[in-house]
Amino acid sequence: MILQGNRVALPSVPVVHKQFEAHTEATPDAVAVFCGGHRVTYAELNAKANQFARFLVGRGHGRGAKVGVCLDYSIDMVVAILGTLKAGSAYVPLDPSYPAARLELLLRQIPDALVVASRATVGLVESEAVEVISFEQLSDHLADLPVTGPEVPVTGDDVCYAVFTSGSTGTPKLTGVRHEGWFNLLNWLMREYRLHRGSNNLVVSAFGFDLSQRSLMMPLFCGATQYLMASRNFDVAMAYRMLTQHEIRTVHCASSTLYLLVDWETARGGEALTRLDYVLFGGEPLKFERILGWARREGNTCTLLHQYGVAECTDVATSYDLADYRSDEHDIAPVGRPAYNTEIHILDERMRAVGAGECGEICISGTSVGVGYLNDTGPESERFTTVVVDGAPRRLYRTGDRGYVSQAGELVVLGRMDAQVKVRGMRIDPTDIERALGRLAGVREAAVVTSHTDSGESELVAFVVPAGDDLAENDVRPRLLETLPRNMVPARFINIPRIPLSPHGKVDRAALVDAFRNQYTRSGTTA
Amino acid sequence: MIADKVRTIWCRELQRDDISVDDDFFALGGQSVIMARIQGAFIEELGVEVPIDQMFLNPTVASISEYIESLDVVIR
Repeated sequence: MILQGNRVALPSVPVVHKQFEAHTEATPDAVAVFCGGHRVTYAELNAKANQFARFLVGRGHGRGAKVGVCLDYSIDMVVAILGTLKAGSAYVPLDPSYPAARLELLLRQIPDALVVASRATVGLVESEAVEVISFEQLSDHLADLPVTGPEVPVTGDDVCYAVFTSGSTGTPKLTGVRHEGWFNLLNWLMREYRLHRGSNNLVVSAFGFDLSQRSLMMPLFCGATQYLMASRNFDVAMAYRMLTQHEIRTVHCASSTLYLLVDWETARGGEALTRLDYVLFGGEPLKFERILGWARREGNTCTLLHQYGVAECTDVATSYDLADYRSDEHDIAPVGRPAYNTEIHILDERMRAVGAGECGEICISGTSVGVGYLNDTGPESERFTTVVVDGAPRRLYRTGDRGYVSQAGELVVLGRMDAQVKVRGMRIDPTDIERALGRLAGVREAAVVTSHTDSGESELVAFVVPAGDDLAENDVRPRLLETLPRNMVPARFINIPRIPLSPHGKVDRAALVDAFRNQYTRSGTTA
Repeated sequence: MIADKVRTIWCRELQRDDISVDDDFFALGGQSVIMARIQGAFIEELGVEVPIDQMFLNPTVASISEYIESLDVVIR
């Protein structure tokens, strides 16, 4: 079974910042970014990004290099991103909401990178592993540089950004994507959904997330205004206030953030969310009943786009307009049809196409397939392979997700084929957490599974085998928070005498999920 | 006092009654969804919008209450 996205020709040099530069020519005085009361026009932003690009090229961090960006959402962050792209370098988001120990682990994966920080974040990336510069200290030097671009000959095959995802070896994987793939994604969304100069966007997701890269660039690709929250952590009250006060038309987010926004609006009787043009969301199974009442509200003109994709293939691979969804006919909301120049294959374990409606592994080929992992990730890189489409070889990525194609020709995602889990839109390998737990004093062994709360969110549950006395939750959790991002720290910790194994000697995760349900209902016996 | 009202809100949203004013929100199992609900409760019940970043910087009942007092607004 194969789903083929429309074939749409791209410009001969499909690089993302050229599109931004074209808007700078056309509408130099339009507002490009608004953050915390500060604003910058397209012309001003372009000039600052050119200066930063010249600085990078001058320092030898031009084409083919990597620039770590550890900044809070700000105009400076957008300058750093665009400047990096103009220099022909790839930016690597380093989320300042992560603990310093986690950031150190990430920095060790990019030893040749230059890291840009600010006064507020530099303390998080003090590392022997890389060179770190503070943006504020640079500003005088940057101001002396010419405001014209360094004219680096960037091509569609150059890496534009690379994001970290959790890996099974305990080492985060650094996934690189190409300019052409990112251009293709932004061009597809812009044309398919008729985004334009008025399609102002509010970023509501954490910087480390792959969807944030698209959310950050989408309005600049369309000539619209980017609204950023001056907040390190997602602030629903602030987000909702900005939606109310500004002409914002689009939001890109994980399903769990959509629930938060919908709950906030529903509890307070507002209309800002219903007046949006689009919410583009996905990343975890949709609990449609969580938003049904809001979605069917009279006067709600917001189109919900339910999307699917993986970081390895430039974020979004398919999109579906939920207005077409009848929850009484299908249990699971589809994720729709592929992006331009992208194919979805459903393959069996021997890499053969399955029949119509049959279940298999979701594989992605086409323009959106990224360059793979930029750090050593062992066998995981074998997920990238090659297939023949229309007589020509195409790179293909095996996602490890299970799914099928419905009679209407829409992709439906069923879940993972391995132990990886999705929590608040972030794909997490439980072994990553298990290793962090195993390193803690007093923990002999650990296994992590997900469970669903009554309100539909998935949460992580850790089973720990104590080395001595039972471990207390309020002892384990703070120690884990020092090494893992918050969304990787389990919601529950349960002491057990041993980890149950399947007949094949693997962790029996199904038994643990059952054990959790029993334990949970009995309550009071958790750590 | 503000700390009493804040503690009542925390106990309700975290669904436990054994919270002391110096307990850490995250050590208690607090997550972003619960934090958003507490933020909402502060607005509705105390009449003050506390930025989420401040709730991260002040993760105990004692410290966030002190922050709210420092805002010098009339608490309901």
